[in-house]
Amino acid sequence: MAAEATLHHGHGTENTAGHGHQDDKDLWQGGHSPFRIGYGKVMMWYFLISDTFTFASFLIAYAAERFANSAAWPKAAEVFSSIPVHAFGLDKLHAPLVFVSFMTFLLILSSYTMVRAVQEGYRMNKWGVVAFLVPTIICGIMFLGCQYLEWTHLIREGMTPTSASSLTKVILFGNLFFVITGFHGMHVLGGVVLNTWLAVSAANGRFDKVGHYEMVEKLGLYWHFVDLVWVYVFLCFYLL
Amino acid sequence: MNFDEPVQGHLHWDDNEYSFGKKEAVRTIAILSVVTVVEVGIAISYDAFSTDGGKYKWGISLLMAIFSVIKVIFIMGTFMHLKHEKKGFILTCLLPFLFLIWAIIAFTFEGSSWEMMRGWLNAF
Repeated sequence: MAAEATLHHGHGTENTAGHGHQDDKDLWQGGHSPFRIGYGKVMMWYFLISDTFTFASFLIAYAAERFANSAAWPKAAEVFSSIPVHAFGLDKLHAPLVFVSFMTFLLILSSYTMVRAVQEGYRMNKWGVVAFLVPTIICGIMFLGCQYLEWTHLIREGMTPTSASSLTKVILFGNLFFVITGFHGMHVLGGVVLNTWLAVSAANGRFDKVGHYEMVEKLGLYWHFVDLVWVYVFLCFYLL
Repeated sequence: MNFDEPVQGHLHWDDNEYSFGKKEAVRTIAILSVVTVVEVGIAISYDAFSTDGGKYKWGISLLMAIFSVIKVIFIMGTFMHLKHEKKGFILTCLLPFLFLIWAIIAFTFEGSSWEMMRGWLNAF
């Protein structure tokens, strides 16, 4: 019991050294988290770190190409100058960066509802979790819808992964734009699917039976990561 | 696949933690929103009103990069709860990103070099 107590205070190596074989054996048998968090959460973090490197590789490639074509590189405020929504004549307005700012707010808002769902999970409040997951899913779907509108608008203007429009001039701009925002969009789509599964599982009482809502926290980490990556996609393509 | 493996960690909050967490989440979303509005405002204003012909664009870019780092600190620290984890875990998660500092510097120089070499090749 004493060994158990020392290990649980996170100083196993120092405190148990020289106190008999039992302590050392306990330590080396595994089952104790030096970080005091669950295995699944640690692994989710490690996955997200590796995914950060994938996104970083894309964005650094973007930076290299931009520096290699600095004179001809298109201006974001010109390329993304309209709202690609035909209703109410919105597409006729000169509104640079307005649409993408709206998309950014959707992700920020969904991050808030996600963190609230995680907090309700800490309180074992099943319907609280579901109530905050539903708007998170809706924001994710709206984000994907906005991305569809923006992509079709840009493709109609002539910017595709293999061709440049009169505004973009550099083919690589379109190429990198569709690859990077597409890769991010795939992550959002994955998040929407996982969050839907999560909401259904929570509503069915799966996590009440298990006794904790750690899965909400793990998928919450993934969802915040999607928001975090967007900060840099937004920075590289729209702000710089 | 067993998603419900036993966990070690702090998974149940009392009333104080819950109300503190709620306030912290509201504060964070407010900060993220304000920073985003300021970023977009500066980007649009610079493009619309600047008369320096892009001479000081690097300063604006630096400012935007700083704002983005601030946003990421709040997302990772508060929303992803990293600032409440053990120090060893925080370092485990953050130290690998030091490689990216090298990568950003190296590849922006590399990109500039490509442009310069293209100029030389065109001269022949």
